[in-house]
Amino acid sequence: MIAQELLGPAVLVLYVGLMVGFALLGRRWPAVFRPLHGLEALGAAIERAVEAGGRVHLSLGTGSVTGADSAPAFAGLAMLSRVAAATAMSDKPVVVTAGDAAMAVLAQDTLRTAYDRARAPDRFQPTSGRMLAPTPFSYAAALPTVLANEDVSVHMLVGSFGSEVALAADFGERQRAFVLAGTDDIQSQALLYVTAEHPLIGEEVFAGGAYLNVGPLHRASLRAEDLLRTMIVALILIGTVLRTLGDLL
Amino acid sequence: MRLRFSLLWAAVASAVGLLVLAGFFVQVPVLIALGRVLVGFAVLLAGAALLLGLYNLLSVHMRKISLQERGWAYSALLVLSLLGTFAIGVFFGPDNPVALVLFNSIQLPVEASLMALLAVTLTLAGFRLISRRRDLLSFIFVAVAVFVLLGTGPWPSGETSEAFILVGNLRNWLAQVWAAGGARGILLGVALGATATGLRVLLASDRPYGE
Repeated sequence: MIAQELLGPAVLVLYVGLMVGFALLGRRWPAVFRPLHGLEALGAAIERAVEAGGRVHLSLGTGSVTGADSAPAFAGLAMLSRVAAATAMSDKPVVVTAGDAAMAVLAQDTLRTAYDRARAPDRFQPTSGRMLAPTPFSYAAALPTVLANEDVSVHMLVGSFGSEVALAADFGERQRAFVLAGTDDIQSQALLYVTAEHPLIGEEVFAGGAYLNVGPLHRASLRAEDLLRTMIVALILIGTVLRTLGDLL
Repeated sequence: MRLRFSLLWAAVASAVGLLVLAGFFVQVPVLIALGRVLVGFAVLLAGAALLLGLYNLLSVHMRKISLQERGWAYSALLVLSLLGTFAIGVFFGPDNPVALVLFNSIQLPVEASLMALLAVTLTLAGFRLISRRRDLLSFIFVAVAVFVLLGTGPWPSGETSEAFILVGNLRNWLAQVWAAGGARGILLGVALGATATGLRVLLASDRPYGE
């Protein structure tokens, strides 16, 4: 019983240890990630948008800050810090929308910090971080107006979504925008595979920070994830073999 | 001074996060009670943030109306509806018959219509996928989706025909073996990614609350 109680904290301590270890090792042993077409093409798409007078829109989804599904939106906020810096000097800086009011407040704080760091605090507009609508489908219904009125040419969906994500991605495709979309829900990921130009499948939604070079701990956490996943898969395989042998003998 | 405040916010956020996390793993009554109080604070703050969100929504649309931007009439309609329903909710309560009629006659049908639109959108997106992304995975994806639909829906020949039973069994094999196995693999990655995101916030590497 005590061993079971200690297992969770032990795994977390191991995870933190691996993240810090890889962050320290990262300077001498840089990480090499597999190509993710959507995240690699994002930088060029943002540059094109800035030059052509288009706007980047980042949706943090319809999940709440206090819910169990807030993690992908936090990954979206990490990406936002880079996207805001990249668009800080453009005529049309990034616009962020969320279904949850508290998430919109966090988006405003992230934008303010990003503009401060880019030495352009006067570029911050509180209305750049918006709560669109509190329910999933009313949020999706409000998106086309934002995309059309703000001249959005890069449409990013990084947060917690349900089936409304298919409509949200499709609205971007109809606008002929660059659509990059990822979420944590498996069924919604299947919908995104069909509707979005650049879907993020599985844990790829959490890898945005590492690919956009947000910080050393982002790259380190991706390496720690890979190592832990390998260990878990190995344990599952060993358990399967031992169980099969136990049944046979 | 600003840096000191930034460190203070980070320290408070990390400490509160660690206390709540500790309450999940260690069964100490004081920790569990403290965790509940802190989560209660978070829910209360999220509720208060809703008012800020409404104010933000009003600011965006009032600006559009005052500048007569494209679609300002829709913004005016939104502001009027928002203020009207807000007033009904505040003065007569959310269970008031008028509020319920507004919700059941406008909000629910609109959302149900969008849900219905989803089926059409997905069918069109399926065709678009084949024309836009002509690779093996896309073909497999669409072929499996069509096969699962065939195995799920009713057949003109009836549910006792051999072909229906064969397709149904193959559909079950695809869904229970291949799809379930793949879904577990994806879930494993998502769980590890979500944990890493949470840990970065706890370590104050990610500070969504600003600096």
